Amino acid sequence: MTYDYHEPESVAEALDLLARHGEDAHVVAGATAFTLLWRQGLLRPGHVVGLRRIAALGGISGSSGGLVIGATVTHRAIEHSAEVERFCPAITRTFASVATVRVRNQATLGGNLAHADPAQDPPPMLMALGAEVVATSTHGDRVIAVDDLFVDVLTTSLRAGEIITSVRFPALAPGTRATYLKFLPQTADDYATVSVAAALRLGDDGAVADVRVALGAAGPTPRRARSVEGALRGVRPDAKRIADAAACVDADIDPFDDMRGSAAYKRDMARLWTERALASLVEAP
Amino acid sequence: MKLKHTALVRAPREKVWKLVTDVPAAARCVPGVAAVTPSGAGKYKGSLLVQLGPVRLVLDGDVALTSTDEAAGKASIRADAKDTRLGGTVRATMDLALVDKGEDTELRITSDVQIAGRIGEFGQPVIQRKADQLMTQFAECLARTLA
Repeated sequence: MTYDYHEPESVAEALDLLARHGEDAHVVAGATAFTLLWRQGLLRPGHVVGLRRIAALGGISGSSGGLVIGATVTHRAIEHSAEVERFCPAITRTFASVATVRVRNQATLGGNLAHADPAQDPPPMLMALGAEVVATSTHGDRVIAVDDLFVDVLTTSLRAGEIITSVRFPALAPGTRATYLKFLPQTADDYATVSVAAALRLGDDGAVADVRVALGAAGPTPRRARSVEGALRGVRPDAKRIADAAACVDADIDPFDDMRGSAAYKRDMARLWTERALASLVEAP
Repeated sequence: MKLKHTALVRAPREKVWKLVTDVPAAARCVPGVAAVTPSGAGKYKGSLLVQLGPVRLVLDGDVALTSTDEAAGKASIRADAKDTRLGGTVRATMDLALVDKGEDTELRITSDVQIAGRIGEFGQPVIQRKADQLMTQFAECLARTLA
């Protein structure tokens, strides 16, 4: 059980390797997800294409009020980035909550998204902030809203021959507050039983002007809670309205039974943690 | 693992019966199935590709129609397959029942699936979802074929 490991130094070189080896090639960056699947015997590619020597895929930069993070930036580097914290401290806290330091030192942003495990932490936060993925192929760049990236368990809308090269966050409207809450009834380094990310902005009249909510571990993919958002938009959020809006989450999720809880329990917890996330965003700072 | 699926096919029972007991024809309605060839009376060889993101299972094996009772609208199918590249086997017994629903037919499939080896790493929730997707697409295809 061996494979050829390739370390291209440019995106063009990496795309060429993918074209040459087709379905027999697997792309990795930190290789944390790949190593698990490979050791379980579920992946047996002949060629592994490692992206970490491609300098253009590293780095974090501000751009017209927004933020761009390269695909091979590690979770730890995001957690420690002053630029990220200035842009939105909730991103910092989200990446700091992933697994353990050892995993965060190795796992990358692009790898996290391409793996498409529904219980991962970053995707809901990225959805709540309206982030987009740039996928590069020999045909050029394609921009995919993170909302549209996940199709099924471990399955994305990336096409054959495409590599995630960066993630872009649009500028946040002044006054936007965001949070990520992760329900961990077992150990601190576990995957969430359910997780909730939310971003919310109140207008001058005290009513909700913008709101985006997304959940992790509550279905085959991370998903937006559009019913919750619809119930909040335009209303002045008090405790009752927040509880009523959070109860709408039931229509937005499709959890299944697993070792972290039954589907029914996850539905209850999704409502509770959505309510907590929203309440934390409208409380006086 | 026991799985139950029910689907309404918009066609009369005799037509649905004819199609589901014609294994090569019915197999064309299972997404991911490559050529099914006869290997004896009521026996066939075939392969099924199941893809979950980067993980590709190629299940090669035997399918046999083990019993049929047209009057009762009941049939049983047994499938034994393995993925030689990843290592893992799937054994399934499927009991099919067709029930008249006016001009339509309800197809009930009760399956008992035993999974061994690597494939089992995915766990029941994921396997169940994949089976649900296959069955839904199978029933939709039957309906389209008979329309």
